[in-house]
Amino acid sequence: MNNVNNDDTTSSTLSANTETSLLKSTIASAIIAVMVLVLFILPAEYNIDPTGFGEQIGLTVLAKPIDSSAINVGKVENTTTQTQKDVVTVLVPAGKGVEYKFQLTQYQKMTYQWQTDGMSLYLDLHGEPAGDATGYYESYTIATAKEMSGQFTAPFTGIHGWYWKNKTDQDINVTLITEGSYSVVGLKQ
Amino acid sequence: MIKNTTRVSYFTNPYLLKMLLCCLTLLVTFSAFAHGVDDDTKQFLLNVTGVHIVPFLYIGSDHMVTGYDHLLFLVGVIFFLRKNKDILLYVSLFTLGHSFTLLLGVINNIQVNAYLIDAIIGFSVVYKGFDNLAGFQRWFGINPNTKVAVFIFGLFHGFGLATKIQEFQLKQDGLIENLLAFNLGVEIGQFLALGLVLLVINVWRKYASFKQFSTATNTLLMSCGLMLIGFQMTGFFLN
Repeated sequence: MNNVNNDDTTSSTLSANTETSLLKSTIASAIIAVMVLVLFILPAEYNIDPTGFGEQIGLTVLAKPIDSSAINVGKVENTTTQTQKDVVTVLVPAGKGVEYKFQLTQYQKMTYQWQTDGMSLYLDLHGEPAGDATGYYESYTIATAKEMSGQFTAPFTGIHGWYWKNKTDQDINVTLITEGSYSVVGLKQ
Repeated sequence: MIKNTTRVSYFTNPYLLKMLLCCLTLLVTFSAFAHGVDDDTKQFLLNVTGVHIVPFLYIGSDHMVTGYDHLLFLVGVIFFLRKNKDILLYVSLFTLGHSFTLLLGVINNIQVNAYLIDAIIGFSVVYKGFDNLAGFQRWFGINPNTKVAVFIFGLFHGFGLATKIQEFQLKQDGLIENLLAFNLGVEIGQFLALGLVLLVINVWRKYASFKQFSTATNTLLMSCGLMLIGFQMTGFFLN
């Protein structure tokens, strides 16, 4: 039974296929794979662009939102325990999503209040633990709203903040007022 | 023997063909919608508690239909299978394999690195392409048991599916039911996608170009597998 089926598959694998054509196929598949990877996939997915071709054809924009947790790990030491107050206006372009983040150490508090200039936004208030490289994050609130206020205590040290997604076809401005012990990480497009 | 008289090709039957096409059109349409509202799916998965059969059925089938890595492997597996009986056998082995590790992985909360698992899935595509080119026979003088290979790679594909669903840290409440629904959804998606692939291959098989291009197709298959490996391993080393 086994033999019958094996024969069935192998005899119908390419019997006309010669030694050289197998070698050719293998080499060709490797060359195509490397070319597509280097020229397209790596620039688009990871912003790795050794030839500069991805940049030239504008592919690397896809990979530009780089992981903020990697950049801001060094800022952990800078956090002060003094409270501060900030007011910022964030533009969420039509159909786009942006993030605005803060660095908080564990159990630090932040009082916040924000509202849009009209329309509702999809929002995700979440935190990424410092030093984590897996891309893990924890969402505290997911909703669609035009305003939000409250107090937030960081459950762990890391980057915390909002992801806003504008599902309308008009730009929306968010005015965000924060007060507490944190350091501003800022905008991540 | 009797086999020959019952060799009706289900996938060239006009009624089934039409039905399949309808189902696929529907699913693709829904998929397009689903990708437009990805945030909503994510929101649902992060907040869900209790049993939700239909949404999980949908997410499972959506993942399979749009999961090109699983589909590439299946294309490799069925490429040279002519008999419906064989197709059924191999696809069942694949299903058995991936269902086992999907359920095992999620229920026991086995954490496997998603990049590594996806790289292995890429490797399974390379393996099958190479196998179809009779590479093992020619270069190594061996004929690996194709059924065992499909089952084992099925196990890896299941871990891949498990990592996707584990990302959402599903609540214990209703987990088993939701998981089974997701699994069933995966099979529905596989059935639909496979239907389309078989349709194309079975029609194509009738033309001389099938033979002419089968080397090229399997070369391309290997190439796609290598791309998947490169893509996933880069991700692994970057993270």
